[in-house]
Amino acid sequence: MFWEDQITVSWRFNQTYRAGTDSGYKTVKVKLCYAPISQKDRSWRKTEDRLKKDKTCPHKIVARPYTASNNTFTWTVEKDIPSGVYFVRAYALNAHEQEVAYGQTTNVQKDKNLFQIQAITGRHVSLDIASVCFSAFSIVSLAGFFYMEKRKGKSSQ
Amino acid sequence: MPEIEGSPGTSMHGVTGREPVLAFSVASPMVHTDRTAKFDLPVDSEHKATKFKLFSFANPHMRTFHLSWISFFTTFISTFAAAPLVPIIRDNLDLKKADIGNAGVASVSGSIFSRLVMGAVCDLLGPRYGCAFLIMLSAPTVFCMSFVSDASGYIVVRFMIGFSLATFVSCQYWMSTMFNSKIIGLVNGTAAGWGNMGGGATQLLMPVLFEIIKKAGATPFTAWRIAFFIPGWFNVIMGILVLTLGQDLPDGNLGALQKKGDVAKDKFGKVLWYAVTNYRTWIFVLLYGYSMGVELTIDNVIAEYFYDRFDLKLHLAGIIAACFGMANLLARPFGGFTSDYMAKRFGMRGRLWNLWLLQTAGGLCCLCLGLVSSLPLAITFMMLFSIGAQAACGATFGIIPFISRRSLGIISGMTGAGGNFGSGLTQLIFFANASFSTEKGLTYMGIMIMLVTIPVSFVHFPQWGSMFFPPSQDIVKGSEEHYYVSEWTEEEKQKGMHQASLKFAENSRSERGGKVTSAPTPPENTPNHV
Repeated sequence: MFWEDQITVSWRFNQTYRAGTDSGYKTVKVKLCYAPISQKDRSWRKTEDRLKKDKTCPHKIVARPYTASNNTFTWTVEKDIPSGVYFVRAYALNAHEQEVAYGQTTNVQKDKNLFQIQAITGRHVSLDIASVCFSAFSIVSLAGFFYMEKRKGKSSQ
Repeated sequence: MPEIEGSPGTSMHGVTGREPVLAFSVASPMVHTDRTAKFDLPVDSEHKATKFKLFSFANPHMRTFHLSWISFFTTFISTFAAAPLVPIIRDNLDLKKADIGNAGVASVSGSIFSRLVMGAVCDLLGPRYGCAFLIMLSAPTVFCMSFVSDASGYIVVRFMIGFSLATFVSCQYWMSTMFNSKIIGLVNGTAAGWGNMGGGATQLLMPVLFEIIKKAGATPFTAWRIAFFIPGWFNVIMGILVLTLGQDLPDGNLGALQKKGDVAKDKFGKVLWYAVTNYRTWIFVLLYGYSMGVELTIDNVIAEYFYDRFDLKLHLAGIIAACFGMANLLARPFGGFTSDYMAKRFGMRGRLWNLWLLQTAGGLCCLCLGLVSSLPLAITFMMLFSIGAQAACGATFGIIPFISRRSLGIISGMTGAGGNFGSGLTQLIFFANASFSTEKGLTYMGIMIMLVTIPVSFVHFPQWGSMFFPPSQDIVKGSEEHYYVSEWTEEEKQKGMHQASLKFAENSRSERGGKVTSAPTPPENTPNHV
């Protein structure tokens, strides 16, 4: 399997809609969103109709002023993105920062054209070594103390 | 005509009218003060302190108190350190709701067994080694968080760290070797309450450490692992302090001292039998699971709850969660205080009603906590719930010493274990299930708390009564002596093994409440000839 560490997103106005539909669009927010499989048994990622409560798309990719075409952005996947199955959604916002339109890389059922992200573990060899050293110190000093006191007890008798 | 001396009511022996409400010191002439001993505090004939000087670190009594409660506090920090960081950990390890819930159950399950074993360890090695062994051997388990990479590893490590909560037993045991039994209630209540505060302190500490480490340049999935090194080091440092500064008994350490063979050692099997066959033990094991148990459960779930439901930042959710655990500073001693206060007027019946009221009120507030969707109301109900539950813990241990004199140690241990069992059970039923939300879980748990507290009305003492029934009118069966001496066989009574129980029975007459009939004149006072 070949993994990349960048996602290239491009978006434009859907010409099948009436011209002028996009007159109110001022900014575009592109977000990384969880696919249903990554939301299962994880209520903190739940989809809610009320956008303020919706947790489907918590990760911001980019925000740009709106233009009808020629929009592309290459995003390096950030280090705190969890492992999972994702799609990308772009919201168009009006001057009052309200979402008025959107587009996404998958279909309505959110089961096509999804992609996987593999997170970093966050583990480091240096951490592992430190952990082993500190643990050894704890055990050895306890054993040493116990042994020394037992010896002192014996010698004082 | 002068009053006949020696007749009932004339002896003013022991009546001062100035009895302290809270037993900060023992002024009773029945406790012989050993004035030859050179200690910082006044001591009794066993060299146990009869006074409790909170802000002193003098060796050995107060130093032991501080070493003991801080060790217990440290294990609470380590055991619940993961809880406020769950929003980060769940992303790093790709956890599901069930994984998080199971880890919470695991974190409190280990100590069900370790608490039962710790009593024996303290008997064999002394509380100093019992405490130090446990916290220094559990330090590696805390450091192990740096290796965890999936749900099963997370659950296993939280399980292992949780063993360290058995320091509750070493803490209480150590206090009882250092402090006279008349003030042991307050001393143990304060030590236990302040130790429990660790569950609150950690909710504050860990997010702050996490932020600092992130600012220093670590990525989030590494920063939380580094943060765990700090509680791990607390374990090591406290272990070393306990070993170097602590001692088992007022006169020295267990190994160095010659064991005095005055007191006949009781048989473990007998002590266990009388604990297990007393139905009251089991009622309190159940009840403590829904005061202490739910407190531990909330320590595990509340930060994540506030983070998710109210969309707070991690450290803010941590601050709110911390308030829950930190209320222990006053709430638990408060429960002991109200228990003593009710007992003065209403005796044991007052203590039982006090416990039922506090625990049920706590349950009601938990129910409400799950129902409200406004942040200020949620915080309010959370705090009221914390006071109810934690005061109920204090009130529980205001009653436990009276269930049995012979088996007090084991009953305390079983009750403590019951607390952890209740925590594991409530987390499993209400918070590990993806089929209902956390707020529903809180509401259901509140209902269960109120239902489970009802059995306290079945606790009946023949000599004092119960919530709804008065004491037995029978002269023999209704006496304290009959209740406490019934734990000894004729054979044992002939050996005089029941003497301590007799003494205790006499002292416990205050649990009748109200006007106490004057105690018989002590033999030292020879009545004058009229």
